[in-house]
Amino acid sequence: MSTVQFAGISKSFGPVHALHPTDLEIPQGQFLTLLGPSGSGKTTLLNICAGYLAPSAGRVVVGGRDITSLPPRQRNMGMVFQNYALFPHMTVGENVAYGLTVRKLSRDEIARRVAEVLRMTQLEGYGERAIRELSGGQQQRVALARAIVIQPDILLMDEPLGALDRQLRKEVQFEIRSLHKARPRTTLYVTHDQEEALVMSDRIAVMRAGRVVQLGSGADIYEQPADTFVARFLGESNLLEGTVRTLADGRATLDVPGFSRSLEGRAAGGLRAGAKASALLRPESVRAQTGGLQARVGERVYLGELIAVKLTLDSGHELWSRRHAAEWSGRDVVEIGWDASAVSILPDASVQS
Amino acid sequence: MNAMTQRLGAIALLAPAVLIALFAFLVPLARLVGLSFSAKAGPFVAYAQLLGDDVYARVFANTFVIAVVVTVVALLIAFPIAFALTRLSRASRRIVFACVLLPLWISVLVRTFSWMLLLERNGPINRFIVATGLSDQPLSILFNQAAVLIGMVHVLLPYAVLPIYAAIVRIEPALLRASEGLGASPATTFRRVLFPLSLTGVATAATFTFLLALGFFVTPALLGGARSITLSMLIDGFVTDRLDWPLAAAASVLLLVAALGVVAVASRFVPVGAIARVHR
Amino acid sequence: MTGRVLLNAFVALVAAFLVLPILAIVPAAFSAQSFIRLPPDTWSVRWWHTFFADASWRVTLLASLEVAALTTSISIVAGTAAALGIARSGPRARAFFTALFLGPVVTPAIVLAVALYSMARATGLVGTMTALVLAHTTLALPFVVLNVGVSLDGLDRRLLLAAAGLGADDFRIFRTVTLPLIAPGVVGGAVFAFVTSFDEVVLSIFLAGPTVKTLPVRIWEEIRLAYTPVVAVGATVMLLLALGAASVSRVLSRK
Repeated sequence: MSTVQFAGISKSFGPVHALHPTDLEIPQGQFLTLLGPSGSGKTTLLNICAGYLAPSAGRVVVGGRDITSLPPRQRNMGMVFQNYALFPHMTVGENVAYGLTVRKLSRDEIARRVAEVLRMTQLEGYGERAIRELSGGQQQRVALARAIVIQPDILLMDEPLGALDRQLRKEVQFEIRSLHKARPRTTLYVTHDQEEALVMSDRIAVMRAGRVVQLGSGADIYEQPADTFVARFLGESNLLEGTVRTLADGRATLDVPGFSRSLEGRAAGGLRAGAKASALLRPESVRAQTGGLQARVGERVYLGELIAVKLTLDSGHELWSRRHAAEWSGRDVVEIGWDASAVSILPDASVQS
Repeated sequence: MNAMTQRLGAIALLAPAVLIALFAFLVPLARLVGLSFSAKAGPFVAYAQLLGDDVYARVFANTFVIAVVVTVVALLIAFPIAFALTRLSRASRRIVFACVLLPLWISVLVRTFSWMLLLERNGPINRFIVATGLSDQPLSILFNQAAVLIGMVHVLLPYAVLPIYAAIVRIEPALLRASEGLGASPATTFRRVLFPLSLTGVATAATFTFLLALGFFVTPALLGGARSITLSMLIDGFVTDRLDWPLAAAASVLLLVAALGVVAVASRFVPVGAIARVHR
Repeated sequence: MTGRVLLNAFVALVAAFLVLPILAIVPAAFSAQSFIRLPPDTWSVRWWHTFFADASWRVTLLASLEVAALTTSISIVAGTAAALGIARSGPRARAFFTALFLGPVVTPAIVLAVALYSMARATGLVGTMTALVLAHTTLALPFVVLNVGVSLDGLDRRLLLAAAGLGADDFRIFRTVTLPLIAPGVVGGAVFAFVTSFDEVVLSIFLAGPTVKTLPVRIWEEIRLAYTPVVAVGATVMLLLALGAASVSRVLSRK
């Protein structure tokens, strides 16, 4: 297991900048997820790390070694592909053993390691099975086993759970998480699913249009998003647009048209007094409050353990609330409020190229 | 439409083609088989003649050897071409594909004739050889085994390329990346992943090429002269020169059985539909 | 990477090998002398005059075109119907009929030629248009069945269900939905059928007669009798038609 460092990595395809110069470090044993919509550059960065794509500029350093010019087969990285890429003409065992046979290990050593990794991925006894006999979830585990059995310096995963149904996806997410906790491996994971990122990662790098927009733990990013894009991408959000009135000591106030009082909240970086910004209120913090703002209850959406309710203020703004069903029982006109501590004032995400 | 009218409809639709297949294919072939047993001297005399005579044995061997050699040479050339086709840029691929497909539209007669023109004593190849001093006499490269082989490889090459290409192109690119990522060199990736997965294509190509080569008539007849006689030429001789119908029929049946045998063996490794799909 | 360069060179070589030799026949058709010389010492179009002026050559060209046209007509009607019939059949019937129609593809041409020739002699049809057209149709039919079959396979069955749900009867569904969607397959099959017939040599050699003879047969005979440049002209005419058909097919498949 090694540390990974991207120094000034960028990638352009002609006039298209898939990746702007990016610096990123992954400490040893950390599970880092690149999270973003398609076109954000996350897969590009992964492929540069794996060596399938050469960067236009910058260096990739693994464990102190500059590997930028090395071809994939010399990088000792374990990659799990989106569609698994299991060799259809080999059995499960042969697939898993492939990287080991290439490294010319002894027959016994290979057998031992394959058996061990099959046990770890709950595929014990599947060694002789043909790939086409396996379900999607099983194939996914074989792909994972094949990648980790070679004891790679870094584990790379390119949206490996995309083809699985929701229930299975959740199960496998937890399995991968447990595997990581049992034996931490430096891992670079790519996904567009924010829930997935939150479940599995030690740290998340949110990417957009070829740049890393925010880097931090799931909690950091959820509670203190850097801008409106991150706020919208991770979790549900209510965003009220306005102008920054005051800015001091990490806190700011926002003038929102239609509100008699300016909103107060934590200030994200990059704010300027007098500039446009948005106030973020997570739906779970919008609650009933006697003496609070008047709002009319619109749609109610039953979500199982929660209920989502659309609230329309006199100013015309609409806010979603997600609380337990008891919160808004039956009434059409309510008084609402929120914790000032739950408010973030965020710069608007700019349109970048 | 219920099941009954569906059935009748299908029968009505199939009728014209079935009638044609019956009267212009099955019935004539059945008659031919019958003819092969109709020699005046006895039902099996024709077969005995064919299978007993040394001269004919050599013709069978010659036909078989030519078919094998042509198939092997064609595959050896076809595989790299098919492989390269999957790796070429769009523009180059279109050009090479056109070169591979174009000959298939042109009659085997025209293609064979062009080799006659090129290989004859006063043809451009010989004139080049004499002019550059590679030999002081024009070489006799027409009307022999070599000419037949060159001509047949030329005609059959497209049939060998297409199925192999179809098989290679179906291989998921991620498989090759996976192999590379696990540490395999390009040679190892080729040997352990790409080649095994292309084998069905190779088998189809081999089957089809061999089948066609076995029954070829025009090319060996024009390019081989009297020095390289194939079974098809023999059959032609029996009909046209000797007017010996039982013998011609028996020889045809033998050739047909050989062809069916090839298809039967191949169908264990290759879906028969694939063979038909090659023919477009 | 030298490997790449070598491979590309090999490909270029083979591509040239596939196409260039065929072109040898063209200059030969312009030789001024009465023997074939490649390249010609002196150029002339006299043999082209001969080809089109000499009745015996002209007639064979026309005969080839006529046989091909008739073959194509019969093949696309019978072949399209057969493909439709196969599409409606159960899996076993489907396998059987597909094998039946594909039979001529795996049968060596000489075997089929001898069989048909024998039959033609018995029925007095040697040297008739009928015999030639029937023989060519047997060879062309598989292409049409296959081509239309592929088109049919690609047809979304739900379109037919939608049409039926909207009130259309079977014939209307066929006319307004099925037929237009398989038209490319039918036309493609027609082009193959035409070229297959026009190019056909072996069966034609046996079934042709003094009065009804196709161009390939004439060329075949002439190669062995009098090896004059008019043979190259005939071959070039065949080449031109093949190129024309290939282009038509290319244009059609682009659509």
